[in-house]
Amino acid sequence: MKKLDFGLYVITGENYHPGRTLEEVMREALHGGADIVQLRHKTAKKDELLEKARLLRRLTREYGVPFIVNDDPELALEAEADGVHLGQEDGGWREARERLGPDAIIGISTHSLEQALAAEDAGADYIGVGPVFPTETKPGRPAVTLEYVRQASRHVRIPWVAIGGIGPHNAQQVLGAGATRLCAVSAIVGSASPAQACRELKAMIAAARGRRNGQAYEAGRELAAARAAGETNGWAAAAVDIVLNGGPHRTAAGTLERLVEERGLSGRRIVAEADGQIVPREEWSRCRLRRGMAVELVHFVGGG
Amino acid sequence: MAGGMEKVGRTEEGAVAGLSAERRERFSRQMRFAPIGEKGQLALFRSRVLIAGVGSLGCALAQHMARAGVGSIVLADRDYVEWSNLQRQMLFDEEDARQCLPKAVAAVEKLRRVDSGLAAEAVVADLTAPGVLEKAAAGCDLVLDGTDNAEVRLRLSDWCFAHGVPLLYGGVAGASGMSAPLVPGATCCLRCLIGGEEEQESGETCDTVGMLSPAVELVAALQAAEALKWLSGSRGELRRTLATASVWPLSLRELKLPGPTRTCPACGEAGQAQRGGSGAGELSRSGSRKAEAAREARGPAVEASFARSEPQAAAPVDAAFKPRKTAALSAVLCGRDTVQVELSEPQPLDVYRRQLEAAGCAVMRNPYLLRAELPDEGARLVVFPDGRVLVQGAGDPDEALRVCERYLPVS
Repeated sequence: MKKLDFGLYVITGENYHPGRTLEEVMREALHGGADIVQLRHKTAKKDELLEKARLLRRLTREYGVPFIVNDDPELALEAEADGVHLGQEDGGWREARERLGPDAIIGISTHSLEQALAAEDAGADYIGVGPVFPTETKPGRPAVTLEYVRQASRHVRIPWVAIGGIGPHNAQQVLGAGATRLCAVSAIVGSASPAQACRELKAMIAAARGRRNGQAYEAGRELAAARAAGETNGWAAAAVDIVLNGGPHRTAAGTLERLVEERGLSGRRIVAEADGQIVPREEWSRCRLRRGMAVELVHFVGGG
Repeated sequence: MAGGMEKVGRTEEGAVAGLSAERRERFSRQMRFAPIGEKGQLALFRSRVLIAGVGSLGCALAQHMARAGVGSIVLADRDYVEWSNLQRQMLFDEEDARQCLPKAVAAVEKLRRVDSGLAAEAVVADLTAPGVLEKAAAGCDLVLDGTDNAEVRLRLSDWCFAHGVPLLYGGVAGASGMSAPLVPGATCCLRCLIGGEEEQESGETCDTVGMLSPAVELVAALQAAEALKWLSGSRGELRRTLATASVWPLSLRELKLPGPTRTCPACGEAGQAQRGGSGAGELSRSGSRKAEAAREARGPAVEASFARSEPQAAAPVDAAFKPRKTAALSAVLCGRDTVQVELSEPQPLDVYRRQLEAAGCAVMRNPYLLRAELPDEGARLVVFPDGRVLVQGAGDPDEALRVCERYLPVS
């Protein structure tokens, strides 16, 4: 079973480092802490691409990190890459999975929560969430803004990485919106010191994860304490344990909307909060219940 | 309305001549609070707010605003003062209850005693009736929620988000309540929080679980604090949370408010763009002048896109009577067994007075309303000049209509 664990995702962009070789720049990035590397080159010929892919495969093996190629499952096979990254336009997710097998890493670019959930359902191993900020790498694609990052942080269950115009200057905003993985292109490979850029971003990611884990730890501890107080087992396999209005609750509802139904509160004026943030009604059906999630259902108070 | 304005002097005095010695003395303790200072105080003098609903919360909010020096206050309420209000509605006294004064009128009288220079206007009407809210809220910098039901709150939210004016929601029941500053462009609207008209009313009202006055004051304080921030110019410091609070047992919790819902016609980006970006935008950005210009340019027409189908038009019972057949009918007036009926062709109050007296009712009349104790029904009618009738103790809406047809016949 593959295990995908990364914080900083680096994609190649040779146009950002004229005069420096791909090997030089990517080695620096790996040295600085890149956790996963993707080869992207939209204009190179097939044999050139294969050469670049083999080079990066060698480098990433040295550093023990996964190597992904953009768009092309055949190239991934040929270069012994760990997987392939596909866009919304590329389609062929299922074909890629069939071609590369269950152990390959398949990543999908998404630009909305609907796409994210569709990719999740299609069996993606991770998704890209972006472009968060306008970027030269993907000209013409409107930025999805931090709002989508916030949504992703609430609803996406598989690893997801924020991408698009991200660098040390704005990473804090993205992490603040809930991201725990960042992807950068020009901010790293276009930097005078790719290694230093990687180190800065990694430090910011680590700090943000520390803050989040602190919260998760609190929620987990509450849950453990509640369990110890006498919760029993034996529920449906799909059920998850959440913390509902401060108490332990096991539910197979799946989404916030169904949880409200399950509690007999449909059609009532309820304000719903998940992990510290109120969820607008429109998003209830897309808000998935995750293990340890702290949910508050509060009756709207109408007197005055 | 204009009468109140003439008495003011606050606005001109503040903006043009600076502060008089008397004003400086009066507001010294508030100006000494650094985030407000003289600049914030002058901004307060120039402000105009609507207090929607002058019950428990409305009374407390009105006092906070009047004493803080807000230049112009509009108080809108459809109800009148009764004995059961005195326990928690801080602006009213026994004399108001004896005279059956409309709450908005009684409140304005008290506020003028608090500050003779205040421009306060009473609107005795139902804010959900056509045109009433638009008129009452025109030119306001803020709407403070002192209402007691979701129907009117949703109207307030729609109006505020269409006009770029923040709505400071507050609600109380029992010993607890909640409050949230809903700011166009920065937070979602009330619809996204609690659903639309189709949802059931909240089960808890002052009728079912009572209401403690300390809980009222706590929630009003939460609202008033945000009002002072917004009006005195510290807009960036507004709380971005729904606060839930209780005094018995004590608790205070904050829940993070979401931003605008993209697809919501009231608060979403589409809605903002459609209106030419009249929203207040980021909390820290002023935007008020833009919003004001947009407000004036557009007028009340914007509401049309949110107006739901008018239920009374769909169910005409009788040519002369238009019952407000809404889900909220039996809870129209918080805390009492009261149904509101609208007369389509209202007569002068004195015409009704003669009819009711001839029918054997004990009738009480003041400049604002007429109240009749029905001889054999154990019920009571309160008739306002705008054609609204509060039928108290009649039970269900059909019974209320029957009472109106019997005692208030079309002449």
